[in-house]
Amino acid sequence: MPSPSPSPSPMAINIASPSPTRSMFSKKRSKPPIASAASYLNALSQADARARTTRAPTATPALSLSSSITSSSEDTVLNESEHAYDPSNADGLTHPARPPTSEQVFTTVHTEFGHCANDKFRLTSQHALGEPLPEHVEQDPPYYILLSTYISYLILIVIGHIRDFLGKRLSPKYYTHLVPRNGYAPLNSDFDSFYTRRLKTRMDECFSQPVTGVAGRTIVLLDRISPDYNHTHIFTGTRTRALNISSYNYLGFAQARGGCADAVEESIIRYGVTTCGARLEGGSSDLHTTTEALVAEFVGMEDALISSMGFATNSAYIPALVGKGSLVISDELNHASIRFGTRLSGANVRMFKHNDMRNLESLLREVISQGQPKTHRPWKKILVVVEGLYSMEGTLVNLPVILELKKKYKFYLFVDEAHSIGALGPHGRGVADYFGIDPRSIDILMGTFTKSFGAAGGYIAGNKALIDRLRVRGHLGPYAEAMTPPVLTQVLASMASIMGVAVPSPASDAVSNTLVPTAHPGPASESALPSWLTLPPLLASGIEGRSRLRRLAFNSRYLHRGLVKLGFITYGHPASPIVPLLLFNPGKMCMFHRMMLDRATPIVVVVVAYPATPLVTSRVRFCVSAAHTKEDVDTVLRACDEIGDVLDLKHGKAEGGERWSIERIIASAEELAGSS
Amino acid sequence: MESASTNLEPLFAFLAKSLSTLEFAFNKLPGSAVIQRYVKSSHQNDPGRTLLELILVIFAIRTLLQSRTRADRTGKHFIQFSDKEVDELVDEWSPEPLGQPLSAREQAELAVVPIVAGPNGPRPKIASTGKTATNLASLNFTGLAGNENIKERAVETLRKYGLGSCGPPGFYGTLDVHMDLERDIADFLGTEAAILYSQGFSTISSVIPAFCKRGDIIVADRGVSFAIHKGIQISRSTVRWFDHNDLKSLEDVLEGVEKERKKRRGPLTRRFIITEGIFEKDGAMVDLPKLAEKVDMLVGSVAIGLSSSGGFCAGSQTVVDHQRINGPSFVFSASMPALLSVSASEGINILRSTPSILTTLQDNVRAARAILDRVECITIPSHPASPIIHMHIRAPPTSSLHPASAAAATTKPSNPTSPVPRDASTWDWDIETEEKILQDVVEEALVQGVMITKAKRLRGQETVEPRPSIRLAMTSALTKKETEKAVNVVKNAFIKVLGRKR
Repeated sequence: MPSPSPSPSPMAINIASPSPTRSMFSKKRSKPPIASAASYLNALSQADARARTTRAPTATPALSLSSSITSSSEDTVLNESEHAYDPSNADGLTHPARPPTSEQVFTTVHTEFGHCANDKFRLTSQHALGEPLPEHVEQDPPYYILLSTYISYLILIVIGHIRDFLGKRLSPKYYTHLVPRNGYAPLNSDFDSFYTRRLKTRMDECFSQPVTGVAGRTIVLLDRISPDYNHTHIFTGTRTRALNISSYNYLGFAQARGGCADAVEESIIRYGVTTCGARLEGGSSDLHTTTEALVAEFVGMEDALISSMGFATNSAYIPALVGKGSLVISDELNHASIRFGTRLSGANVRMFKHNDMRNLESLLREVISQGQPKTHRPWKKILVVVEGLYSMEGTLVNLPVILELKKKYKFYLFVDEAHSIGALGPHGRGVADYFGIDPRSIDILMGTFTKSFGAAGGYIAGNKALIDRLRVRGHLGPYAEAMTPPVLTQVLASMASIMGVAVPSPASDAVSNTLVPTAHPGPASESALPSWLTLPPLLASGIEGRSRLRRLAFNSRYLHRGLVKLGFITYGHPASPIVPLLLFNPGKMCMFHRMMLDRATPIVVVVVAYPATPLVTSRVRFCVSAAHTKEDVDTVLRACDEIGDVLDLKHGKAEGGERWSIERIIASAEELAGSS
Repeated sequence: MESASTNLEPLFAFLAKSLSTLEFAFNKLPGSAVIQRYVKSSHQNDPGRTLLELILVIFAIRTLLQSRTRADRTGKHFIQFSDKEVDELVDEWSPEPLGQPLSAREQAELAVVPIVAGPNGPRPKIASTGKTATNLASLNFTGLAGNENIKERAVETLRKYGLGSCGPPGFYGTLDVHMDLERDIADFLGTEAAILYSQGFSTISSVIPAFCKRGDIIVADRGVSFAIHKGIQISRSTVRWFDHNDLKSLEDVLEGVEKERKKRRGPLTRRFIITEGIFEKDGAMVDLPKLAEKVDMLVGSVAIGLSSSGGFCAGSQTVVDHQRINGPSFVFSASMPALLSVSASEGINILRSTPSILTTLQDNVRAARAILDRVECITIPSHPASPIIHMHIRAPPTSSLHPASAAAATTKPSNPTSPVPRDASTWDWDIETEEKILQDVVEEALVQGVMITKAKRLRGQETVEPRPSIRLAMTSALTKKETEKAVNVVKNAFIKVLGRKR
């Protein structure tokens, strides 16, 4: 694995020196910071050897340098009240760095939703009106990085083929599922599965690690080791609590405590966990009607339709919109569910370069003038499908320009807001809200409840006639199970607390702001919620919802700007809560993942590589949440800074040409996040 | 002239220098001598071959560089327009509306979809009437909807895990409770392993393309459900259809497939048989013992029998692991909420500890069939033990989805490449009229306090338009007496509505 180890930069040494803010971790590091990849690998192999020789399930989590802190009994991991008395707070995760003052009252559990009372660390997510969306420039790394990346893959592929060649002859029993036997063709061809077996398996440590508990600000990992190079995993029985910058939890509604969870409990008692069947065949309940009305109000459309799965919302409703004789124009980086849906629809598909409006326009001119292939008949209709926020790049769709094109070229516009709904805009209403655009100028808004609302499933919204058409023509109406009552309630409660609930008589409640239902994007009317669902004042007034939106906006910008100032190559728009950091070499992915997890404050990250990204641009993807405190983002930045030196990742050109030290970044967070 | 050559001299020098550097670099590459020798000798033997190979290399590079999104501008169908002409064409073009507004019929249809106020179960309150009705429409076979144990476990889980899992299974979305449920399902069904999907409908249409690729052969029953049709469509495999629930036809089709392969002398491709346990379309049951000794993949729904949400595929460890990377709706979708997973596990527990649930269900099915089988004006294609009972309006000739009548109709085998059965031309029912009559039956039953439903279809999108039917769903949550009473209401509604018509 080519991991060039440069001599430690002066910055790395500088960082290794103890700093005042480090004291938030009461635990001392047992080992000095590791200065190079070689020394890290060395230490790693020693730890690995130790783990293999002992193999005792009670041993400290294997392969970990600084022993992870886990609770000994199952319950304490999940039971916060017991955990709160854990005096060590060794990982810096269970208690805030500064104890709360007497005025500050926090209603959330710190491990689920971080305590942060400082109003300076807030921002509004809004596009400066009238300004063009800055075009995203992809920075290229130095040539030696590109070259070594290609060579890495080449080596992996060559070794993989050698192993296949020898393995098939020497130990055929491992290949039985790949060769024909008893007249049955193999279920999986060795060619098709080569990438999985020989490349992905090597880094399986980074994927699919099971967790338990709430995927909130922190997450509890079930520790595992692999005795056979990731073919099987053995659970050690221990657990590690880690800072969670991986889950889609933009507004921090993944909570087991609080107003939303209370509402869900009430709904389970009242409704049970199922509505028994499909929407059109006796599985509809009044909760569905209520939720659909609220969702329509939230996104600012006439009507909305919900489905029990986000993926299926695209894959089953797009075929109901377009068919033979129609054309779908799709961004090349659109999600798999959109491709799945368009393939099922039978419509023709053309793709345009990611977010490239010139490319889109020239494509539109071509397809409209040429008409359908061969026959040259005009298209019945053209549907342009884009995402609001792209999940692997963190880029925002250039909505203002697309809408200009829409006026001229008369196509229909479908915006998939899976990641942007709740996460963008001063009112959390998604990408249209962010740009200050009337949502009704878009034909179809689709989104999911998984990411910002801590629920599951998806919605599709548009004008009433269109949504009714989808109710009848969509595949899910007659055939798929309806959304379950607990999920519906989570959507209702979280959405209402982002909107705030309008109070009928202004003088009735002193705590809540008096909100009057106005035009979109206004608060929800009180009648929009079921009578049994009452939210606590902080949620009902919309105060907490607003604070969540502003915390998310701050955290996103701060992390993004911080990484750029440290000298990393990142992608995406600074307002995006998805922040990809480019790693390039496949070997660095595992290293980065493991080094983040091995820190005094363990951090879990998502690394993504081919085929989810182009072959060279392997990356780590941070998903910022409103549940993170400013200190959490500091922790992530500090970790990236140290690991970035070890793994030689800092190849970006910092804006303004000047890199900042980590201490300077942490000290001037507000200035950094506030700069446009 | 002279000045020109002096001007060009530094260029020549540069060229010569870079050539020699290139040669030097090439010689330094390991294995370059072998390539050099090969090219030299091949050129010596046959200069034409060098040219051919060169063209091949250029062609390969060109193919690689060609953007897949670029249209065939050079193709013979491309018409060159000037910018002005394009502008005119753009102005002229007017698209169809994105969705046609509903017709009056469709609107009426949508308006009568029953909505339950409050919890669903054996006796829900209907929102439109405000009265309770006996429920023979919703899928609650095992009567687990509203079960107090399940509710309790769901609340416990909510307090530990919150609601959403906030991620796909690959990225910290796999919870310990998901692994527990997968194990429970595998144990319950006696398979090695199982994998969970977060929606029942999307399970099968994801499992099929995970295994079946272009060139593979799928042999499928003509009566399979819409979701399976979609899965087959997206897999791009070659499909051969056999007659609905007709093992003789399956055998013929399989023989045909084998013959075809031998004729083409193609390699052994993967072949899959796809059928359903109890058919969603008509409630018939497959004769599994005869069909196969071993089932590789069992796909099912957690939403129906276990009263939760989601789907599963059970099979060998290899089969399951393969889907963890290749099942589109597994990989690209968030995993199911923890509390739904625990509810399903608890459902399995209850079924294990209370086997009487299943006997009650069977008793109810038998009781219902005892009444319905004697109704003159309907035909029932469903298996006598099936908790889903489809009812068609009886009209001569009888339903051809029924295997017995199908065999009698004609002896000419159907075309295996078409999903349409051989006797489709003899189908003489009028879908619209029958739908209307059946809707009258549904409404008549609701007036008498029994909630039933037509089998809803996606007319115009189904591969083969199924015959309109009323679909009853039996449940063990009702006693035998209650079931009999409700089914009698259905029977009387049929007799009343059809009697009026005739």
